[in-house]
Amino acid sequence: MIETALIVETVVKAIIALAVIAGMAGFATFIERKVLAFMQRRLGPMHVGPYGLLQLAADGIKLFTKEDIIPQNVVKPIFMIAPVIAAASAFVAIAAVPYFPEFTVFGYTIHPIISDINVGLLFIMGAASVGMYAPLLAGLSSHNKWSLLGGARAVIQLLSFEVVSGLSILGPVMMIGSLSLINMNDYQIGGVANWLIWKQPLAFVLFAIAGFAETNRTPFDLIEFEAEIVSGYATEYSGMRWGLFFIGEYANMITISVLVSIIFLGGYNDIWIIPGAIAMLIKVSLWIFLFLWVRAAWPHVRPDQLMWVCWKVLMPLALINVLITGIVLV
Amino acid sequence: MSDIMVTIDGIKYKAREGESILKIARRNGVFIPAICYLTDCSPTLACRLCLVEIDGKRAYSCNAKAKEGMSVISSNEEIEVERKAIMEVYDINHPLECGVCDQSGECELQNYTLEMQRDEQSFSIADTSRPSHDWGFIHYDSSLCIVCERCVTVCKDMIGDSALKTVPRGGAVLDKSWKDTAPKDTYAMWNKLQKSLIGLASGGDTLECTNCGECTAVCPVGALVGSDFQYTSNAWELTKIPAANPHSSDCSLMYYDIKHTSIKDHKDKIYRVSNDFHFSTLHGGARYGYDFANEIDKKDEKAFKKAVKFFKEEADSIKFNSFITNEEAYILQKLKEKFGYKLVNDDAFAYKKFLQNYRQVSGKSLYSSNLRDVKDSNFVVSVGSFIKSDSPNTGYAINNAMTMNKGAGLYFHPIADPVVDGYSKNLMSISHQAGVEESILYLLLDLFGDKEAMPKSVVDYLASFHKTVKKTITEVVKEQVKEMVKDEESGEEKEVVKTVSKNVEKEIEVDVNSLYGVVGLPDDFDSKLTKFLAKKDKFSLIVGEDLYNHKRAENLAKLVGLIERFTDFNTLIIPTSTNTLGVSLICDLDESVGKKVIGYNEKADFALSALGKGDLDMPALNQQEGTFTAMDKRVVPTNVALQFNGYCLNDIANELGLDAENTIDYTPELGNIDGFKNEEFDDLPNEFENSGFENRGYLLEEKNLTCKDEIQEIKEVTFGDGDLVYLANPVMQFSAFTNKAHQLNEAGALYVSSDFLEKRGLKDGGMILLSNGDAKLAIALKLDMQIKGDIPYLPTFDSKLDVLPFFKDGYRFAKVEMKGVEK
Amino acid sequence: MELRGFKNRNVSPGYIFFEGEPKPLTSWEQFKRFLSRAVKGELFVGLWIVLREMIRFDIHTLQYPMEKLKMGPRYRAIHKLLRLFDSGSERCIGCGLCEKICISNCIKMDTKVDEKSRKLVTQYSINFGRCIFCGYCAEVCPELAIVHGSSYEHASEQRASFGLKEDMLTPLDKFKANKQKEFPGFGALSKDADKFVKKTPLAY
Repeated sequence: MIETALIVETVVKAIIALAVIAGMAGFATFIERKVLAFMQRRLGPMHVGPYGLLQLAADGIKLFTKEDIIPQNVVKPIFMIAPVIAAASAFVAIAAVPYFPEFTVFGYTIHPIISDINVGLLFIMGAASVGMYAPLLAGLSSHNKWSLLGGARAVIQLLSFEVVSGLSILGPVMMIGSLSLINMNDYQIGGVANWLIWKQPLAFVLFAIAGFAETNRTPFDLIEFEAEIVSGYATEYSGMRWGLFFIGEYANMITISVLVSIIFLGGYNDIWIIPGAIAMLIKVSLWIFLFLWVRAAWPHVRPDQLMWVCWKVLMPLALINVLITGIVLV
Repeated sequence: MSDIMVTIDGIKYKAREGESILKIARRNGVFIPAICYLTDCSPTLACRLCLVEIDGKRAYSCNAKAKEGMSVISSNEEIEVERKAIMEVYDINHPLECGVCDQSGECELQNYTLEMQRDEQSFSIADTSRPSHDWGFIHYDSSLCIVCERCVTVCKDMIGDSALKTVPRGGAVLDKSWKDTAPKDTYAMWNKLQKSLIGLASGGDTLECTNCGECTAVCPVGALVGSDFQYTSNAWELTKIPAANPHSSDCSLMYYDIKHTSIKDHKDKIYRVSNDFHFSTLHGGARYGYDFANEIDKKDEKAFKKAVKFFKEEADSIKFNSFITNEEAYILQKLKEKFGYKLVNDDAFAYKKFLQNYRQVSGKSLYSSNLRDVKDSNFVVSVGSFIKSDSPNTGYAINNAMTMNKGAGLYFHPIADPVVDGYSKNLMSISHQAGVEESILYLLLDLFGDKEAMPKSVVDYLASFHKTVKKTITEVVKEQVKEMVKDEESGEEKEVVKTVSKNVEKEIEVDVNSLYGVVGLPDDFDSKLTKFLAKKDKFSLIVGEDLYNHKRAENLAKLVGLIERFTDFNTLIIPTSTNTLGVSLICDLDESVGKKVIGYNEKADFALSALGKGDLDMPALNQQEGTFTAMDKRVVPTNVALQFNGYCLNDIANELGLDAENTIDYTPELGNIDGFKNEEFDDLPNEFENSGFENRGYLLEEKNLTCKDEIQEIKEVTFGDGDLVYLANPVMQFSAFTNKAHQLNEAGALYVSSDFLEKRGLKDGGMILLSNGDAKLAIALKLDMQIKGDIPYLPTFDSKLDVLPFFKDGYRFAKVEMKGVEK
Repeated sequence: MELRGFKNRNVSPGYIFFEGEPKPLTSWEQFKRFLSRAVKGELFVGLWIVLREMIRFDIHTLQYPMEKLKMGPRYRAIHKLLRLFDSGSERCIGCGLCEKICISNCIKMDTKVDEKSRKLVTQYSINFGRCIFCGYCAEVCPELAIVHGSSYEHASEQRASFGLKEDMLTPLDKFKANKQKEFPGFGALSKDADKFVKKTPLAY
């Protein structure tokens, strides 16, 4: 009985999470256009629906109904599967992420996490890293030099940020002593002062930087940088396949925002009178805004600069952080 | 005319004594501005721009004759002031309508005003209303006219029509105060300019001339333009395609000015024909008869296959005329060699025979003169050519010789021609009986021949015409009488010598030449001729078409040969039509056709036609590239003005086993024929140099041969009593091609003089019935003011009229019965 | 005249030359540069500027189909053929100068003599597929007949649209309604044009 309920609950939660995150990802594209426009003294989409709100639906319809073009000479199965990897890995990562505090509906306690596995953080990081296969495979299979360059850049980017994000998160993990995100959240109960950001500021910064890199956002959008390599790995993609890459990217953005909020910014704990769920929404929104804000303001870096920064600056710093954390703990 | 040295601006140039300074300067590339001067015409001295300083004195370079050691300064400050002032005067009241003017872009007034950098005006005078006139082919806008008198000069000195003259302007009188302010020459030139305009010499409203349109070509401004061309295109939009006159044997250099037809139709169209008027003159046929192109949409493969089949299986002869290029003639000759076709070309056949006979006696492969020589000569005799229609350019050359060299001449033709009479007082027109040409040539031999060198038989034969007759004449004898006169005042007596005239009757012996009577010379011929021949040193004899088909053509040709050999005359034997000379040299012609005939621009069993009515369309002469052999014994190139979309003769020849990509691949092969050279078409130049040197194509090589003297005596050709009709085209018409041109399209008629109409009580436009033998024709009458006498002529240009049956034996005169049809 | 001013064409007063900061030679220097850049907070200046603009909400967007930009008089769009204000007849006299000067060779005109023996422009066309809107035609036109309009919406169903005389000439009804404005732009007379006129003496 319990088994069945658990399965039903998990399936329902999964569907809801998928729908909401996908929807949010779509909405995020609208918000991104608007925010970028405002920052550049423009209006952004205005004509479809009030203030262009339905632009999202229009884009969706367009993407879904567009012809699925598979160019000649591409490696067909890989070309076709690459965007699926992007979207799937992003959504798989979501499985171990808790969003809100648990709550009771009709006497039934609901944990807003699809699966509270004890190595949640590791799982998320792993799943998200698998997502990096998507641009790599897409780039290699596309039979296009821009795509190939994009794929190559994806690899060097993976090699660079993965080390940093892993090492930077090591400090908090050492302090908390658990890889479960719920435990991390619970560690910070008790107001803003208990937030891990104060204890691990360097780790926070490093993780944030790594997060930008992982989501391919400016200033680390070098795998699909238009001025240099057209559209990178996605050059040959169109229609819904391209849309899957897009959804994956925004889902990743949301995941990273949630992760940062939970690990460093007090998670879904209440702040004074603000209930935890609202606080969580605010934090995630602010982080997404930050992603957009940065895109509007900053130039992007070169691949060599990315590697230089990651390997020669951030990684040593992360190591030092781990060392200091260790010393303090002992 | 010896070589001298003249210094211009410090550089020494070779020149001939008596040449004008302007000519020397132009030849050597020294710029002296001049608006009114025309090469080969007399200086007008209207513009005074060619002012130079010769040995410290002002002179007009167009008029100044070169002398040994002359030192000329082409420009100094004083002269510049004068020239600039003259330019300003020309610009006074000149309408500022360059925007719409047809001459804009090639206007000498524009060019010189810019050259002299005139951008302001210091003279003024009240303007006069100057209306524009429509003179048929020509439009005269007198408000644009700068009265340089080039049109008047060219019409008189080159063309010989003298149809234009200056007339009073009736404008404001030049204020005397200008005399003080304006430079000297400027004032004089202005004074003259302000008094005159151009008008018609006839005084009426219609232009009575041969409509050559040369006045429109020479006009430096937009005053005289072709009515048809007016306002249709700017000069700079037109592309000039160098070509040769395709209608007559002078093959003068001319340019087809082409541009797209309209915004909707991008096909090329010929807008006008232009020429280098300083060096080459065009007649009306060439100037207005340009749009005779055969326009077809695409290749007609069926017709082509039929043609090839006809060539291969049925045809045994090809009939053609001389409106073809040398290359086409060569292709036909090659086809003859390969398949044994008979080649029939009536006019070239007659001309060829005539030339062969001439060759036998004269010992020269070709006639010795050309148009340049005729222009340079000062005594010209023309026999057997209806020159105004047959070869206008030869007529221009005669006129030019008369006016420029103070020349004199004799014009023998049965039809009296007021236009030729108008050339000069010193050109005696003799309207003789048809058929006496032999006598004329014998007469020339008698008058000019070197009796000591000539064969004895000829001398004896000539002597047989002479008789000594005793004649009583009244002679005026002047006697000096001495008289004593008493001076009344002083009373002294003086001896005074007085001259008193007395009439004395005297009997003298006179040498009478019976040929005079046969030819019909006037009584005072001898004395006139003596006057004519004074100071004459260059003689030209022009022989025309009447002689080639003459019943006595063989003997006539030999007589011309004798004249060439034993007199000072240089002979010009005018080729009948465009390329008659070329065809006669290239093709081995036959006398008559066989059973199945292919016609090239001729009616036949299978007709290849550029006129657009035949079984297979061919390109017209302005759609072909190739060469003509011109009257000047020169092979001249002509180029494609308009695209032809169909098949040409070369395509048929290739199908029959010859091999050449283009027709012009045969141009160098012409070198296989005597006289022609092995030269690529693309290497042939086609221009006049600044000096007037004709750098066009190449000259035929001439040879000297051994001569024979087999001359026959005169055999009378008489027509008896009755009406004669002549075979000739009216002015400007040469063939069906000229008639196809929209400006020249007209229906053929019997062209008659006003004498003819008066005598028979007929009216212009009435009908007449002609008949001789089997031929019968009802035809309209058309009054031709430019002939006199009783002989009318029938034209060949109208392909709807079949007039040739009247002239069965080929001779241009035929006896007919005429019956006026009353309406 | 000295050529210095022409040879050194980048120099004009007010230029500030910036050589750039020296390149870091050692990795220590590179690290220092990284630090100084990071600590200086230049990146945050950028962040602040875009945020400031967002807060100010000073939007410059022109919502095109509803709102349209007013073009300046010197803007060079699709040509217009004007009429004479006095008579309403066409200004074009068919001089062909525009046809001549057109560097993309896209102007053509057909002319003929009309009944009043004046030059009549029967058709006038500009091939807008080729036209580069350089404005030479308007500048060279002695009658100010061919001018540039301000209509910049060039989408059409046919290549030949806009390019014929009837498309460019001010329609008579519009002309009669006084809708034709004198053209102040490229090729129009300058305000000081009178100064350059040289007077011609008249004998009246």
